[in-house]
Amino acid sequence: MSESREGLDFSTVIASTVHDMKNSLAMLTQTHNQWIRQMPEALLHTREHGVIEYEFARLNGMLVQLLGLYKLGVNQLPLQPAYLEVEDFLEEQIARHFEVLQSRHIEARCEVEEFGLMGVFDHNLIGSVVSNIITNSIRYARQQLLLRAWEEQGTLVLSVCDDGEGYPEAMLAKQSDYVLGINHSTGSTGLGLYFSGRIAELHERNGVRGHIEISNGGPLGGGEFRIYLP
Amino acid sequence: MQDYSRTRFLIVDDFSDFRSSIKAMLRDIGAKDVDTADRGEDTLVMCRNKRYDIILHDYNLGSGKNGQQVLEELIAGKLISHQCIFVMVTAESSQAMVLSALEHEPDAYLTKPFNRASLLQRLDKLVERKTALKPILQALDKAEHAAVLAACDELSRQDKRYAPLCLRYKAGALRELGRHDELEQLLTQLLADRPLPWAYMALGSLLHSRNQLQRAREVYEKGLQQFAMLPGLYDGLAAVLEALGEEKKAQHLLEEAIKLSPLAIRRQMHLGKLAMANEDFEVASKAYRHAVEQGRTSRFKSPENYLGLSQALTSQAGDGSLDKRVQQEIGQTLGELEKTYSDNPAVQVRARLAHAQSLVKSGDAAQAKKLTEEAMARMADLPQFFSAEVALQVAGQLRDLGQPGAGDELLKNCVEIYGDDPAVLQKVAGQTSDPAILGGGKEAVELNRQGVRCYQQGQHDEALALFRRALLLQPKNISIALNTAQSLLRLAADKGSEALLGECRACLDAVRMIPDTDPRQERYQQLRQRAFGA
Repeated sequence: MSESREGLDFSTVIASTVHDMKNSLAMLTQTHNQWIRQMPEALLHTREHGVIEYEFARLNGMLVQLLGLYKLGVNQLPLQPAYLEVEDFLEEQIARHFEVLQSRHIEARCEVEEFGLMGVFDHNLIGSVVSNIITNSIRYARQQLLLRAWEEQGTLVLSVCDDGEGYPEAMLAKQSDYVLGINHSTGSTGLGLYFSGRIAELHERNGVRGHIEISNGGPLGGGEFRIYLP
Repeated sequence: MQDYSRTRFLIVDDFSDFRSSIKAMLRDIGAKDVDTADRGEDTLVMCRNKRYDIILHDYNLGSGKNGQQVLEELIAGKLISHQCIFVMVTAESSQAMVLSALEHEPDAYLTKPFNRASLLQRLDKLVERKTALKPILQALDKAEHAAVLAACDELSRQDKRYAPLCLRYKAGALRELGRHDELEQLLTQLLADRPLPWAYMALGSLLHSRNQLQRAREVYEKGLQQFAMLPGLYDGLAAVLEALGEEKKAQHLLEEAIKLSPLAIRRQMHLGKLAMANEDFEVASKAYRHAVEQGRTSRFKSPENYLGLSQALTSQAGDGSLDKRVQQEIGQTLGELEKTYSDNPAVQVRARLAHAQSLVKSGDAAQAKKLTEEAMARMADLPQFFSAEVALQVAGQLRDLGQPGAGDELLKNCVEIYGDDPAVLQKVAGQTSDPAILGGGKEAVELNRQGVRCYQQGQHDEALALFRRALLLQPKNISIALNTAQSLLRLAADKGSEALLGECRACLDAVRMIPDTDPRQERYQQLRQRAFGA
């Protein structure tokens, strides 16, 4: 009895709990949305509503990421690349955050270098990466968010920019080992970058692997996150 | 935004809250015609009665069929058009689900929770895509594959965003049209540029079907290096290894694939069969047990799984006797089999033999004998021949059950019906060395071969003479009968002879017991239609 208790694998416990938490959160979000529909118009655009929407999205993103990290750890995160229309993909990511952007009065748009730009990547995995980055940028953005995409020598670049303060200097300096940079002040951001980096690496073409970069400045003057997909 | 006021929607989810929430979102975007259901079984009924444009289907529906099974049945039963938009709604992005869906992919996945903006953005895009693809999809609905090819070329010229998707439709059409060289070239080029899972699968299966086993093996192995979690690649490689005679390795691969994606009845069935051949009865019984369970809600259910389970459990005991628990499981399995397939006389025969075998191991020789005799009596008036594989299996069972005479009789029949297939003869030789059985068809097969050669050289009269002599020796041989019928039909038309036509009809009637599963069934039906009229 005591032996089996000691043998309990904590990461498996977390993974299965996270799984349930995610389902529970989905239920909560959906019920909340139904409740919202019955509210008078005046209550719909309050600050509290915005906070609830935002934290729902953040929690969901963290849980997805946690499950993803677990699967990476046990080598069970499969890659399903397919040809995708990049603009469509970016618009989809913005649509996922529609309510939050609206309640925070942030204008989000996307710019794709050429009409009909295509990319080959895992829709689901890159979707959760970009979505998490957007959630993070929303926290720091003042009024604007810009998603861009272009091609550089056969490599697709997706970029998320905001007009906020930008990433802390320490983080930019240590970008090659985000995981070491995780502490209580940068915690979730550091982990998010680590997850993004690992997902980018899973994408490979003719021996070249994907990677991520963070910088400050960019077209909106705030932080910029880039993911390079060969 | 697209106009959804005339779109026919169907929402399927087991939670009523979720159904009403989606329904409200659809109303908001202008939808008027929205039906709902809470079970996959209902989807099938509803799609039979009404043509839906957009289906939003939950994946996990509790105890019944899951969303993927429903989609497979909708496609197989042609209950939805290729133009219908099928969106799989999932509680979480379950990888196992996505991985097992390579063959029949939904048009999109939507992960719960989602908001109205996401739903609208997805639907708008999907409608746009389906509209652009319409010429291809219409041709697909009519199974006009040459038209699919033309439409693919046209659309990829017009809009390069659809070029990758067109390539995939093009590959499917080339396969249907049997244009294998072009297909191989297309897939090889594609893979040289981009490692895509579907292209590995398509190339591997093409090479396998062309019997280029080593090359097929290399393609699958390369695919697995990049996509180590794609069960379809394991299935493909396992089939190639089996053909190469490496059954143990093939079994191991399928066991790996099942760990990744256990909800795949055909994979479980294949594993059961391989493990039986490898005499790994424990793995075989487990796989067949899963296949039986999953079959209860699947169109891929098969009597072979019940029979396989019973066989594996009986064999597992070795020379020992069956314990009570195993006896009970066999009894239940075969009982369910007999009930489920009450209108299939061949299954009734085989269920009795399987039961008799387990009874011998349980020490009830009297009851075993009774069931064996019952089976033999029923065998005499089966409406269809056994397939060669089943005939060989049943012959072995009869011998085990102390009826070597009946077993030999069945083998003799098998040689007569299928003796032109060297693989079948080889397996018969594994059961008997009696030259009267093994050599039974030799002369007829040789005459048939000569007849085919004459026919190909345009010597139709000579060919017919040879086929007639062959058929006289082996009147139930399916290949010979079909060849004779075909040459009679040709000459009857040339000479306007009623007598030849009558002889042709007689030939076809003599093999009317051709099994439904026989690969020559289609050719038989075509000849029949020409000989007897529509």
